[in-house]
Amino acid sequence: MLRIPCPWCGVRDESEFRYRGAAEARRPEAAAGAAAFNAYVYERDNARDWHCEWWLHVAGCRRLLKVVRHTVTHEIRSVEAAPGAPGAERGR
Amino acid sequence: MACPARIARGLLTDPARPLHFRFDGRELQGLAGDTLASALLANGVLQVGRSFKYHRPRGIVTAGPEEPCALVDVIGARGREPNLPATTLPLTAGLVAESQNRWPSLRFDLGALADRVAGFLPAGFYYKTFMSPGWGWERLYEPLIRRAAGLGRLEASVGPHADPAETVHDHADVLIVGAGAAGLAAAHRLGATGLRVLLAEQDLAPGGGTLLDGRWARWRESTGAALQSFPTLRCLMRTTVLGAYGHGVFGALETLSAEESARFGGLRERLHVLRVRRVLLATGALERLIAFPANDVPGVMLAGAALRFLTRYGVAAGRRPALFANNDEAYEALFALAAAGVHCAGVIDPRPESRAAARAKALGIAVHSAAVVGAVGGRHAVRTVTITELDGRPRFVLEADALLVSGGHTPVSGLAAQLGAALAWHEPQATWIPELPAPIGRVAGSAHGVCGLAAAARDGYEAGDALAVDLARPHAATEPPTLPPDPEATAIGALWEVRGRGKAFIDLQNDVTADDVRLAVREGYEHLEHMKRYTTFGMATDQGRIGGLLGCAVLAAARGIPVAETGTLRARPFAQPVPFAALAGAEVRAHYRPKRRLPLHAWHESAGATFVSTGLWLRPLVYSREPGWTPVLEEARAVRERVGITDVSSLGKIDVQGADAARFLDFVYANTFSTLAVGRARYGIMLREDGLLLDDGTTSRLAAGHFILTTTTANSASVLEHLEFHRESSCAALDVVLTDILDQWAQFALAGPRAREVLAPLVALDLSNEAFPFMAVAETMIAGVPGRLFRISFSGELAYEIAVPAGAALTLWSALLESGARFDIRPYGLDALNTLRIEKGHVTTAELNGNTTADDLGLQRLLKQQGDFIGRTLAQRPGLTVSERLQLVGVRPVAPTARLRNGSQLVAAQAPGASLGYLTSATRSLEFQGWVGLALLSGGRQRLGQRLLARSPVHDESVEVQILSAHMLDAENTRVRS
Amino acid sequence: MACAALPADIIELVALRERMQVLKALAARRGLPVPATGWIASGRETLVLCVRPERWLVLTVPAAPGSALAAWQPACAGCAATIELSAGLAALCLTGPAVREVLARGCRLDLHPEVFVPGSAAATSIAQVPVILAALPGGWLLLTPATTAEHFRDWLAATARPFGFATGAGVTVASLAGERAP
Ligand SMILES: [Zn+2]
Repeated sequence: MLRIPCPWCGVRDESEFRYRGAAEARRPEAAAGAAAFNAYVYERDNARDWHCEWWLHVAGCRRLLKVVRHTVTHEIRSVEAAPGAPGAERGR
Repeated sequence: MACPARIARGLLTDPARPLHFRFDGRELQGLAGDTLASALLANGVLQVGRSFKYHRPRGIVTAGPEEPCALVDVIGARGREPNLPATTLPLTAGLVAESQNRWPSLRFDLGALADRVAGFLPAGFYYKTFMSPGWGWERLYEPLIRRAAGLGRLEASVGPHADPAETVHDHADVLIVGAGAAGLAAAHRLGATGLRVLLAEQDLAPGGGTLLDGRWARWRESTGAALQSFPTLRCLMRTTVLGAYGHGVFGALETLSAEESARFGGLRERLHVLRVRRVLLATGALERLIAFPANDVPGVMLAGAALRFLTRYGVAAGRRPALFANNDEAYEALFALAAAGVHCAGVIDPRPESRAAARAKALGIAVHSAAVVGAVGGRHAVRTVTITELDGRPRFVLEADALLVSGGHTPVSGLAAQLGAALAWHEPQATWIPELPAPIGRVAGSAHGVCGLAAAARDGYEAGDALAVDLARPHAATEPPTLPPDPEATAIGALWEVRGRGKAFIDLQNDVTADDVRLAVREGYEHLEHMKRYTTFGMATDQGRIGGLLGCAVLAAARGIPVAETGTLRARPFAQPVPFAALAGAEVRAHYRPKRRLPLHAWHESAGATFVSTGLWLRPLVYSREPGWTPVLEEARAVRERVGITDVSSLGKIDVQGADAARFLDFVYANTFSTLAVGRARYGIMLREDGLLLDDGTTSRLAAGHFILTTTTANSASVLEHLEFHRESSCAALDVVLTDILDQWAQFALAGPRAREVLAPLVALDLSNEAFPFMAVAETMIAGVPGRLFRISFSGELAYEIAVPAGAALTLWSALLESGARFDIRPYGLDALNTLRIEKGHVTTAELNGNTTADDLGLQRLLKQQGDFIGRTLAQRPGLTVSERLQLVGVRPVAPTARLRNGSQLVAAQAPGASLGYLTSATRSLEFQGWVGLALLSGGRQRLGQRLLARSPVHDESVEVQILSAHMLDAENTRVRS
Repeated sequence: MACAALPADIIELVALRERMQVLKALAARRGLPVPATGWIASGRETLVLCVRPERWLVLTVPAAPGSALAAWQPACAGCAATIELSAGLAALCLTGPAVREVLARGCRLDLHPEVFVPGSAAATSIAQVPVILAALPGGWLLLTPATTAEHFRDWLAATARPFGFATGAGVTVASLAGERAP
């Protein structure tokens, strides 16, 4: 089980969070076309490596976190508030 | 009394408290403090079961939870419980236990014929033998094998009387697993630092190996007293750490003492979920078996187990035991038995000489050095032991009634392996030794490959000190106390197998022999993991703990490689079998899932509602306890003809505020909200980014920067998450605040041609069509309560939805009922609501099922042409827009008496072939004779007027149906605008 | 362990984008404490919890319906969203020496008194239900959604039974805030 250090709530069990997918993928511009959106929605590297991903802390602060986790060891290297979101700069 | 083998006073047994118990119908007597195993041995009961596959007689092999053979059924107040190890089962007054896997009796077991035909039952026999005929497996072979193989019998005891269970969450700085010499020493050091320490021990008392050596009593007592004085240290006795789950999370199972169990209403086991910063594994080492012919005859027992039976329970494993060991530690059992006056038959040791052998000789015990056991005589008990030379030539036959065996000790490394420990092969001890990465913790004592109690304690002190430093809580160096010295020992002489005639077992519980391993290798299953699966080695409930390394060594020899190269079997959670009830914890029956109750739940109940569970919600289905359609149609009729009222408080409601609220909604909805006037509502649909529909609902604008959004009941949580996710990712720059207000507001739909007249007396608003038209919204006082009024309709009739704070729900509901009394207003439930919306062609979760697009449901006109929104691009993919897609249509049976069913497949009336679609919703109709339904039909909008068959293979029914527009009722919406 | 219902009006104040300092200044003028995330603070007959960044739950002694919101909504225009939650959240007060042991049977948080010190507040889930909890000198404050509150109270009562369970009474926002009864 993962224990995720939420910058707002402290270390919490994985069961308090909802996984929201890869965080590197940036939503394409509106006019980018079907191929770009297809890549954004479906194409993932699924690497044995560090993986940057979104976790929404639904049972806690209900804020979105950007987590860097290793897909093999599950080690968590960093957790930060979603960049640019309101109040993100004050995340502990 | 007749307890012939009780020869001494045991550490745990109380001679003043005899207990009666029954085993296989025999009335026997033991002592308080006994386990079932020690009590059976005390009574001279050697054979306690039959083996899994060959039905061979089996006895007690170990004295702990690693026991492979002595598994019994216990018959008690809770029925029959199978597969309990007699070696850990505390003896209680009146205990009734039975042996397993024998028929008709333990001694005369017909299944034992399997042993005689063993040549036909080698490893992998089912894969080869039961190939044909094809039907044979299901009807013949499997039932036969099921009867012949297996262990205990399970009797279901599920129901309201099932055992209580609970899960406790706990936290600490350090978890110490095992309270032997190393664990106690580490706890002493860590406890003194003020760190929060949890010490878990599976035994009922701390001490581990020190309990078997009288010289350690004082150290144990003084350490125990020190531990009790540490306020931040807690001990969990009778607690097995079941598994390591990463990130410092461990599961542990505590067996409650009788007093604790009584306090917790008969709770027997408690599951602990432990979250810690570091772990110290002081899990000890397990003695391993040696593979030699007939190494499973009752009376063959591990040497350490014999020492435990004698020291803890005062029971001798035999009157004339022999020892077969390749290491000095194992001799301690014999020395203790000799000291208790037991005559030892002799020692067989493959090593040419050793310090322990010299001590044995000095005690007058015959030692046969440079020799091995080539055979064991006796079927139901050991009679003779045949000693052979190392090259296999017979040397001597010894008369003995027990054979104590020790092939060395293997660190218990299951938890360490789950934590990613590196395992290093240590040749001098012929075993693997685990090492944990420092950020996770440490291994200490015999689990760490350390030999001897004093050495283990010193390793524990060191590990404790190192962890204190790791956790920035070092304390002043203290000299370790004087420890009883470890006897000097000669190194182990690795010995895994003695080959000869007869079965040499490496896994006693699954009946796997050394020959099976060689067969696996010959057939190409050379890899350890392949061999394991081919032979089932290590796959029984004991996970092959006493034979694990042995199997690897036999495999290595068969392949001609060193043992270190075979790798190790990964011990997976759980470390011991765990009752499902303990895993389920308290989240069963009434607490299985939370129940969400509507603010008016009590009123609905008193009005005679039948409730239905939808997700977590309890919602009124119909206000009647009568089955059938009559009450449902009565409720629906009230709405169509007069007026009805229903509780829609379970709809999701999200408050959206901020300067960019409208921009945000434009992005998350497929239609436009920035153009919505203040005081107006609009129906909206949300797509997922892949272009499929996510949810629908009505959203109202209360102020320029303030909207109230509603979702379907089923999707309220997922839509909130979806919006929160986008607020902080794709819309991170917007000024918008989202708040879940589902629970704050009770909401009722007042529907029917008389709705306006019912509402008018309760509000100070002009409700005329001109002043408050369809889709108007107002914040106003309603029946004296500040509320929100929406003119929206799900039923297809003139309707209002009225929201008030949940605390005022009853006030408003009662006022509406009172005001509606002159029109014979009726509350209506979910069934009537469904009838009304199906007739109207409104969709719900049955159609918004995650596979449909806006176009499929005829909502494509809502997709905005300008501006970006979630799902915009991918909704236009060819596959989501082709005309053969399943589209929403209405369905009515051609014969008015025919019934429609949800899930019926639509097929062509002539030459019915592949499914063209299916019914999503069906109801008895009020507006039309008979039934109506909604369906998703391939190219549906092109098929209006066609006749198809609605087939339900489950009910073996075919109904001819007519395809209609989904808007079967009032397609021009005159009623809702009336 | 005793469990008492806490009568309270509850509103939530949420800072609008870049308006945090404006809201804080407003709160300061009106004497409302604005604790950091993870803390609860008390003012005059008021408890303020922050378990979500930039959002404060304000608990006050019950008054006329809507008055708590009306006291803040106009002043907050342009700096904070204001939301009425009095009916949406059930407030409970737990007291007694067994509270931690009872909560540990459903709460995954470390409630050790040196970790979850008095004044701490957190949002989590207990027995599968969302719960906001806070440790106060006078007891534990729990807020849970109204529609699952009955389920949660049933769970509390069943779980606390071996420790002794009683229904408490007479708890007020003022008494929890540490003020003496008038
Ligand atoms: Zn959080």
